Amino acid sequence: MEQFLQILILGLSLGGVYALMSSGLTLIFGVMRIVNLAHASFIVVAAYISYWAFKLIGMDPILSVIITFPIMFLVGLLVYKLIFAKVIESSRFVEITVLLTFALSLIIEGLLNYFFTGIYRSTTPIYCTECLYFGNLYFPEGQFYATIVSVIILLGLFLFLRYTRLGNAIRATTQNRTAAKTVGVNVDRISMLTFGIGTGLAGASGSLVSFLFTFYPAKHMDWGTIILALIVLGGMGSLFGSLVGSFILSVIAAFVSYYFGPTWSPITFYSALFIILLIRPQGLFGKKMELSR
Amino acid sequence: MTNHPPKAVDSVKIPPSKKFMGNKSRSIFAILIFLILLLFPLTQFIFGGMNYWLHLLLYAFMYIAMASSWNIIGGYTGYVSLGHNVFFTAGAYIAGLLWVYQGISPFIIAPFGGLIAFLIGLVFGLITLRTSGSAFIISSIALTSLAAILLDKWELAGGANGLSLNLIDLPLNTAKFPFYYAFLLLAALTVFVSYRIKHSKFGLGLRAISQDDVKAEVAGIPTNNYKILAFAISGLFIGIAGSLWVYYLTYLRPGLFLALGISANLVLMSLIGGKGTVVGPVIGAVIMIAINEFFVSQLGSSAMNIVAIGVLLILVLLFFPEGIIGTLKSNKKLPKILDWE
Repeated sequence: MEQFLQILILGLSLGGVYALMSSGLTLIFGVMRIVNLAHASFIVVAAYISYWAFKLIGMDPILSVIITFPIMFLVGLLVYKLIFAKVIESSRFVEITVLLTFALSLIIEGLLNYFFTGIYRSTTPIYCTECLYFGNLYFPEGQFYATIVSVIILLGLFLFLRYTRLGNAIRATTQNRTAAKTVGVNVDRISMLTFGIGTGLAGASGSLVSFLFTFYPAKHMDWGTIILALIVLGGMGSLFGSLVGSFILSVIAAFVSYYFGPTWSPITFYSALFIILLIRPQGLFGKKMELSR
Repeated sequence: MTNHPPKAVDSVKIPPSKKFMGNKSRSIFAILIFLILLLFPLTQFIFGGMNYWLHLLLYAFMYIAMASSWNIIGGYTGYVSLGHNVFFTAGAYIAGLLWVYQGISPFIIAPFGGLIAFLIGLVFGLITLRTSGSAFIISSIALTSLAAILLDKWELAGGANGLSLNLIDLPLNTAKFPFYYAFLLLAALTVFVSYRIKHSKFGLGLRAISQDDVKAEVAGIPTNNYKILAFAISGLFIGIAGSLWVYYLTYLRPGLFLALGISANLVLMSLIGGKGTVVGPVIGAVIMIAINEFFVSQLGSSAMNIVAIGVLLILVLLFFPEGIIGTLKSNKKLPKILDWE
C-alpha cells in the first residue's frame, strides 16, 4: 500500500509540469486549430535559456520563468506575425499549418545542434537531487517545487481566462470563431496574442523541465509526442481535459516506470495516443469531430 | 468495388481516352530517359571514375521512388504523413538482420521488406485512418516515436548503436552497379504504379477522398478501405528502398533510418514538384538532391542542412504551395512530355 502511494506521488508530481507543458498547445489549438508541432521545440529553447542563465549568472531555473515567459511570448508573436498570419485564410489551413510548425521544429533543432551541439544538458540547482520526507513517503524536492510553480501558473491562466476581458475574448474565440467575430472580437489580434501566450507558457515550462529532465536539441521529439498524447487524451482544445490527461498519464507512466524500468515509461504516452485514437478519437472532454478538419 | 459511377464527384474529371492513348511523345520521352539511365553505368568502363555520379543518381532514384510513393497517400489522398520513415526503417531492419544473421542477400529480401512495410501500413492504417486532418498527422508522428523506443531496446539489432553490415563483394568499379540498377528499377516501377493508380478507378476514389471525405463516401466510394490500401501501398515501395539502402550504407542504426529529415524530405520533394501529380515528386526529388548536394559540397555542415530543409519547406508552403507542376498546370504552360495527369 505504501509502495502504491509512493508511486502515485511520483506520478502526480510530474503531472503538474506536464499540464503546464501542454497548456500552451491546447490554448493555441483551441483558438486557431493549429497543431503546433514546434511547441516542444519552444520548450527546448526555453530550457536552453534557463540553462545558460543558470550557468552564466547563476540564476535559479525556477526564477528564470520570469525571463523565459516574456522572451518566448515575444518569439510567439514574431513567429505568428511572420508565418501564420499569411495562411489564416488558406483552404488547406490544417495541413499547411502542421507542416509549417514541423518545418519550424526542424529549423530550431538544427540551429540548437549547430550552436550547442548534441550534448545532454540539464540545470543542477541544489534542490534537484534532494528529497522531502513525509513519514515514510518521499517527494523529490525539485519535482515538488516544479509542481507548485506549475499549479500557480495554471491557476493564473485560469483566472486570466475567466475574469479578464482579453481572457473572455480568447474563450469566445475558442468556442466559436465566427460568432466571436460577429460580437466584435478582433479575432486576428486574439489569435496573435494567444499564440504569444501559448508560446510563453511553453517557455515557462521549459525553465521547469530544465532541471527535471536532461535535454538536447532533438529532445523535442520525445516531449512533443508526450504532450500530443496528453492533449489528445484530454480532448483537443479543452484545457481542463489536458490537465486531467496529464495527471492520468503521468501516474500510469510512473507505474510503468516502476514495474518495467524507467526507459519504458515514454511508451505509455505513445501507446495511449493510439489507443485513444482507436476507441475515442475525440478524447475525454473533446467535442466529436473536433480534430478532423 | 461498387457500381456507383465515379462521376458523382463533380470536381474530378476523367481524361478522355483519345488523349490518353494518343499521347505518344511523352511515352517516347520517358522510355528514352529510362534507356539512357540504363546505359549510363557503361561510361564507367569507358571513362572510369564515375562512381560519384552513380552514387548521386542512385540516391536520386531512391528518393524518386520514395517521394512518389509518399505522394500516393500524401498527395492523391490528401493525408499528410510524417511517419513514413517507419516504413523505410522496417525494410532496412528486415534486410539488415537477415543479411547479418542468415547471410541472405538484401536484394532477395527487398520485396519482403516491402511486404512487411505494406503489412505495417495495413495495421496502422486500420487504426490511424479512422481519424483525419491533424489527428492523422499526430498519429503518424507517434508511430515514429513508438518505433524509435522499440528499436533502441532491440538487443538483437544492436539497440541504438545498431549493427554494421558486410560490404557487397564486388570490385570497386562495379560495386555500385547492382544498387544502381535496383534503385533505377524501383524508381521506374514506383512511378509507373503511381501513374496507373492515378488513372484508375481507385485513384479517382482517392482524389475524391482528398477533396471531401464525406461526399466521397456518399458517392459510394469505400473510403476507409481505399485510404488504408493507399497508405499500405505507399509504405510498400519505401520499405523496398529501405532494404536496399541498408545494404548500400552497410550500417543499420535507428538514427540513420528513423530520421525526421527523411520524412521531411518526402513531404518537401512532393510539395516542390507538385503534390498529387505524377511527375511532381520526381522533379522535386531531383531538385532537392541537387540542392542538397550543392549545400553539402559548399558548406559541408550537417546540422545546418536540416535548417535549410526547414526554411525551404516554409518558403514553399507560404509562397509556392502548388509546386512546379501544379503552377505550370494552372497557368496552362505544362509541356506535353511532363503532363501525365
